[in-house]
Amino acid sequence: MRARPAALALALIASATALAGCGRGASAPPGRGAPRYFGSLHPPAGQVFRFNNGAEPEHLDPALASGQPDGRITRALFEGLVVSDPRTLEPAPGHAYRWEISTDGRDYTFHLRPGLVWSDRAPLTARDFEWSWKRVLDPATGSRYAGLLFPVANAEAYNSGRLADADAVGIRASDDSTLVVRLADPTPHFLHLAALYTCLPVPRHAVERYGDRWTQPENIVGNGPFLLRRWEARARLVLERNPTYWDAAAVRLERVVAYSVDDAATSTNLYKAGMLDWSPSGYIPSQYLPYMRGYADFRSAPQQTVYFYSINVTRAPLDDVWVRRALTYALDRETLARRVLRGTRPAWGRFAPGGYPGYEPPPEIAYDPARARECLSRAGYPGGQGFPKIEILINTSDDRRRVAEAVQAMWKQTLGIPVGVTNLEWATYLDATAKLKYQVAVRNWIGDYPDPSTFLNCYRSGDGNNRTGWSSGPYDRLLAAAQGEGDPAARLRLLSRAEAILLDEAPVIPVYQFVTHELVKPYVRGLYATPLDYHPLKSVWIDHGGATGANAAARGAP
Amino acid sequence: MRPASLWADAWRRLRRNRVAVACGAFLALLALLCAAAGWLPGLPDPNAPDFALGAAAPSWRHWFGTDPLGRDLLARILFGGRISLLVALVATLVSLVIGVSYGALAGYAGGKLDEAMMRFVDVLYSLPYLFLVILLLVFFSKSLIMLFVALGLVQWLTMSRIVRGQVLSLKQQTFVEAARALGARDRRIVFAHLVPNTLGPVIVYATLTIPAVMLQEAFLSFLGLGVQPPDASWGVLVDEGRKLMTIFPWLVVFPGLALAATLFALNFLGDGLRDALDPQSRGEAR
Amino acid sequence: MISYAVRRALLMIPTLWVIATLTFCLVRLAPGGPFQSERDIPPAARAALTAKYGLDRPLPEQYATFLRRAAVLDLGPSYSNPTREVRDLILGSAGVSFELGGWALLVALLVGLPLGALAAYRQNTFTDHAAMAAALLGVSIPNFVLGPLLVLLFSLTLLWLPPALWTSPASRVLPVLTLAAVYVAYVARLTRGGMLETLRQDYVRTARAKGLGEGRVVMRHAFRLGVLPVVSFLGPAAARVVTGSLVVEQVFAIPGLGRHLVNGAFNRDYTLVLGVVLFYAVILLVLNLLVDLAYAWLDPRVELA
Repeated sequence: MRARPAALALALIASATALAGCGRGASAPPGRGAPRYFGSLHPPAGQVFRFNNGAEPEHLDPALASGQPDGRITRALFEGLVVSDPRTLEPAPGHAYRWEISTDGRDYTFHLRPGLVWSDRAPLTARDFEWSWKRVLDPATGSRYAGLLFPVANAEAYNSGRLADADAVGIRASDDSTLVVRLADPTPHFLHLAALYTCLPVPRHAVERYGDRWTQPENIVGNGPFLLRRWEARARLVLERNPTYWDAAAVRLERVVAYSVDDAATSTNLYKAGMLDWSPSGYIPSQYLPYMRGYADFRSAPQQTVYFYSINVTRAPLDDVWVRRALTYALDRETLARRVLRGTRPAWGRFAPGGYPGYEPPPEIAYDPARARECLSRAGYPGGQGFPKIEILINTSDDRRRVAEAVQAMWKQTLGIPVGVTNLEWATYLDATAKLKYQVAVRNWIGDYPDPSTFLNCYRSGDGNNRTGWSSGPYDRLLAAAQGEGDPAARLRLLSRAEAILLDEAPVIPVYQFVTHELVKPYVRGLYATPLDYHPLKSVWIDHGGATGANAAARGAP
Repeated sequence: MRPASLWADAWRRLRRNRVAVACGAFLALLALLCAAAGWLPGLPDPNAPDFALGAAAPSWRHWFGTDPLGRDLLARILFGGRISLLVALVATLVSLVIGVSYGALAGYAGGKLDEAMMRFVDVLYSLPYLFLVILLLVFFSKSLIMLFVALGLVQWLTMSRIVRGQVLSLKQQTFVEAARALGARDRRIVFAHLVPNTLGPVIVYATLTIPAVMLQEAFLSFLGLGVQPPDASWGVLVDEGRKLMTIFPWLVVFPGLALAATLFALNFLGDGLRDALDPQSRGEAR
Repeated sequence: MISYAVRRALLMIPTLWVIATLTFCLVRLAPGGPFQSERDIPPAARAALTAKYGLDRPLPEQYATFLRRAAVLDLGPSYSNPTREVRDLILGSAGVSFELGGWALLVALLVGLPLGALAAYRQNTFTDHAAMAAALLGVSIPNFVLGPLLVLLFSLTLLWLPPALWTSPASRVLPVLTLAAVYVAYVARLTRGGMLETLRQDYVRTARAKGLGEGRVVMRHAFRLGVLPVVSFLGPAAARVVTGSLVVEQVFAIPGLGRHLVNGAFNRDYTLVLGVVLFYAVILLVLNLLVDLAYAWLDPRVELA
């Protein structure tokens, strides 16, 4: 009699477990050959696109925006001189229909289309672009990405306060429809920079009138394919088609609903239940990834983001390069990627990710336990004797903990050294990495534009993103030379040599490269996987006929 | 003939309560297993990874299965139980002692003192817990004592409220007047007479908060206090397990069962204790 | 009673001041600040932001400004979302949190009180054990496990309910159940404990001896006083449940106060954290006052000074 309530409880838990197992098992394919979809397949009525934008956007002001949640919405509300092709991300004409680049690669002349207007019908001219870009560079604005425009002549001096006169910066509207930009160095990827959200124009009249609140739905004025209708804090943003957009005819969506769901499991559940049409990368729990490969609506593509361990080289024993080399060689990336991450992400033994056209990277670091032990002996700790305990700093998000525990075990096993793992919450973790209050810390870095310099520039001496205390004269010189080098092939060779130095001195230990993992319903068209994880919403539309018609049987399948 | 003391009488009654005894035995056995985990023959190292194996379902080799790094789950639960049970016990005791005394004194004192004491409780309750813990970590080094402090900080607050409420209504009763008439001092009245009568809800609340304390420890571990990887407490195991719930259900079921079984046992034992200590209880419903 | 209530209401102001001051110090002392990220901010931008929000002014001056503005309910812009005022953010999500918490408490009371009373009445029988086991389930399955389990069952397998968000009436069911589960356990157990005490009291025996019907005995006499521990528990519990359960809001993507607090804390959004803490404190103080008044009403022997 007494045992019964306990047994009852156990039975309930057991059946819940069985159901949990069922939930996964029930997603078995309906029939061989038919594509399996993760979740229900009811398209929304009309041209409405619903997706999860992730964390709550902080800023919709292009000059202040940072991160994907800000970026996706900002790029829907505003458009720049140059846009990115939705498939290849190559620069394509946006508000500028034509541009000329001088032979030395330093002067860009952009010609704007005629008749451009803001959404409140005020005329949009090249002077708006000049004003907006200078506003980004103005130190008083507080733009986090002002650095993207530093290739422009005198931009860095103006932003750091050394130069007070904004007119000296190399951006000038020679007339209402022509913008002339003068760069300090030939920058082959400048057009990609011009397509980023920091370089989107802002309406001077709205900004000056409403101040900080100009991006509120009732005040905002944009020039992009969509308008901001509603913004419910931590819930969702609702966008509607902008009729005054110059290419409004090409925009098929009537409405876009961007939810602010920051939990990955919740986002995936919403997608499965058919309440979302797209769940972008980063919002699928990593433990589901190995099972997603069989689904037709799951998409994966390499991404220009690298996960690595940053080493604080100012503290013993990690100030010794041989110790760092030992740690690098002792890390079995392949096993990590294959076993711990279950093949969902490729191991990566270099710093800049793969896929840059024309870039020949230096040889990658391979797992070599014998060599690792040798390096450690050379540092004065044969067999790990006398080596003080080092701590790996992580913040618990997703699988950082699992990977760190695996690395800890590997270093212990191969080198015989004591390694601990410390877990901190986000802000304390950021503070610790910024202030060099750590020994080994996990980090990742996302590329901004398709060129290796977006990764390698971080490790210049004194750069704010360095966060290791490492400094190398030859490395800095190579990067500076690359910046001034006009020939693209020579420039990439210089960058490759710099990367070789970085890998050899090992202030960073690369582990794996990120891959985008997203779920897209088959009735969504115009959304393509891209390495910078950028998806212009302008080209998206809902196909109500087509593929989903044949899937009546699959409807309602889990 | 010497009259039986309250405690001896209670002990005798408790021993006769079969459910309570069974639960007590279960808890003792669990604690023993966890404490002796390091010496149990055949139990694998809880922190030794087996990358090739990965997460495996329960089998003869691994009774509770393994986690994604190939570590035996039964071993992890037993070793994790050490910290969880210790934490739960100490934190609950601390919150009991502080909460009960504080609440009883406030309730008995009444008036302005009671109000001031309860406002102090309110203030502590309103402060954001996350920051309190972060600051503990900043100013004091990470240690077991700090963990208990962090856990104890908030647990006693609601306990004191409950006890105060009980005392407020009890202190008007005749036995209190009688004690006072007999010349008993206030402190004796509070601790020898009033507190034992509040034990009912106190025990109930204390046993209910134990799983909450275990889960709170997991939260603290996330913040950097509490166990750090690769060690794990039950709360951490449940938290890590629930992320993989739909794929590897055993990772959440077994730690969850450990937590639930401890809770059930504690509650029924607590009921038995309450029945045993209740001076008027005869175990009959009417 | 009225004068007591008024006095307590006035006492809230110095209490709130203490809470505000302590929280102000706590958030400032924590490492890290509002404008950090993985990516470094150029020094010029950092200087501009710091100056704009007055974070470069000496601390006592910042504190004085904060108090002055708080007194007129101006809590400033949220650092992580400067286009919005903290006050607007709080008011916007308060409604959602109140609704979620209110339903959860209602369910907890409607299920827990009868369960506990029944268990006490039939002490040590099968009914007692079964009722308590059922109640205990709520607290033995952590809510971050229960929530996803319910979603898995009712949303993804049976397709009866939406898995998240706070839109249709159907979307409220699962979050409310998840949140209520723990409170059912507390309410049921505390009620049982309280009623076990009162069912044995002299006045109950007297009532029975007088020939009063059993229902009346239980409800009017035993229950009224037996429920006192639940009432004292309810004060802080109600405050906590209506100001947002962080886990439930996270799992079900509900735009409540809890998410503001969590995100604000992790992003060191000083103004938002201070605002939510003060709001929460007001609710807690008001609820505790109501609880104390309820004691006096339920138990005529209690004197509230």
